[in-house]
Amino acid sequence: MGMLEGKVALVTGGRGGIGRAIVSRFLREGAVVYAADLTQRGSLDTHDDDGSRFVKLDVTQEAGAKAAMEQVAADEGKLDILVNAAGIEIEKTIEDTSLEEWNRSFAVNVTGTFLTSKYALALMRRAAGGGNTASLINFGSYDGFIADPGLAAYCATKGAVHALTRAMACDHGPEGIRVNAICPGYVDTPMLQSFFTGEGSGGGGKTIDQLQQAVRDVHPMRSYGTAEDIANLVNWLASDEARYASGQLWVLDGGLSAQVQQMKL
Amino acid sequence: MDRPVAIVTGGSRGIGRAIVDRLMSDGYNVVTCGRGARPKGLDLRVVWVQADVSLTGDAARLISQANRAFGRVSLLVNNAGVQVEKTVADSDDDDWDLVMNVNCKGVFNMCRAALVDMAEHGGNIINIGSISGMVSDPSMALYNASKAFVHGLTRSIAVDHGPKVRCNAIRPGWIMTEMAEDGFALANDPKRAMEDALVRHPVGRFGEPADIANTVSWLASDQSAYVTGACFTVDGGMTAASPLNPGLF
Repeated sequence: MGMLEGKVALVTGGRGGIGRAIVSRFLREGAVVYAADLTQRGSLDTHDDDGSRFVKLDVTQEAGAKAAMEQVAADEGKLDILVNAAGIEIEKTIEDTSLEEWNRSFAVNVTGTFLTSKYALALMRRAAGGGNTASLINFGSYDGFIADPGLAAYCATKGAVHALTRAMACDHGPEGIRVNAICPGYVDTPMLQSFFTGEGSGGGGKTIDQLQQAVRDVHPMRSYGTAEDIANLVNWLASDEARYASGQLWVLDGGLSAQVQQMKL
Repeated sequence: MDRPVAIVTGGSRGIGRAIVDRLMSDGYNVVTCGRGARPKGLDLRVVWVQADVSLTGDAARLISQANRAFGRVSLLVNNAGVQVEKTVADSDDDDWDLVMNVNCKGVFNMCRAALVDMAEHGGNIINIGSISGMVSDPSMALYNASKAFVHGLTRSIAVDHGPKVRCNAIRPGWIMTEMAEDGFALANDPKRAMEDALVRHPVGRFGEPADIANTVSWLASDQSAYVTGACFTVDGGMTAASPLNPGLF
């Protein structure tokens, strides 16, 4: 029997790199899963039917968040698990970031988390009770604790998500809703690969392979994470195994941020 | 008015020496100690006690000598520390005894001895921890753990002995002392190692012992009257930045 039998889950960014891994894991664990994203393909080139229910959702739009939850309410009448995985990153310093880009970062990463959560809470209360908890999982980042260069707006949005996570845990814990954030380090996703090939990578003439290896070498685990690694923790936090876990920021970065700067000595 | 009395452990060189010098110019009577003889160039007004803080008797003797020389001690700065550059797998019992005796038991000994008076009449304790007590330096396992102990003890003393006693810790990053210079000298390419390390510091330079002494001076002053149980990082911004700086590889 799966860890999430009988549970209903909605994953924003559910057709993106990490989102798909979460959706697929939830399905394997027996949940009914809604994958919410801008398009069927999300940030990837293709999509095969994986058994999830697609919900078209722009997380920055209040009407969209309401409509998505109305659909879940009509189908299932409750929501046990919400994963706010939709996110974007702008690879710039604040000086180079336009107001529009800054607002867009906050709209997706912070306001999106706010809106989807806001309209999910009533459904999550229905899932909680009788000894059951509902689980709301936000996406922070290790960048909410320490900064990567040239990623200012992204770092700021993730710090905001961390604080929002604790605030929501305080407010909705008494209702049986647990709220946690996952704080990934480097995870092999389209977002990371575009970072390797992008202008911000500062590759110094290195090939992408060399760049990837250099990134692996900075990690104590000598690898960056996979979307499945993230899904493993999301699944646990979503399950009843984690019924006492709330208000925490779960760093999952292969030990990257456990170390002092790795000088070349 | 009488000059207040401060004890600084490990004041023969490096950060400890800078703290001694700063407290002298701030108007303290200073007693400092080390395991060796009185170091050259130490201000003649500073009382030097040859002592090993890891020995309980030496800690008590340090306090009584300070009392005899200047009166009651109102400020204790626990700076003395050692490091052993090894992983857990490579560390033997002697490594454990050395690091834990000086960095942990030494700080505990000095705090306990000073608190006999401070708990009743008030006082201020400043411990030198390290960024390595929060994030790990490779192959410095016992040192890293010993500094985390210092941070934990700092909070405990603040909680147990407030409001009479304030207790805070400073977590220095890379401070250019003889110890740090020796590290660069051992690098495959010392010049490149230095450049690489520098660019990881948002302020664009390494720390100097005076940077830590400045922080001690402030934490010792009434300006920090509401600060206790805190661990302040003074590292030029190094640990605020990700160790994965793509511009560097």
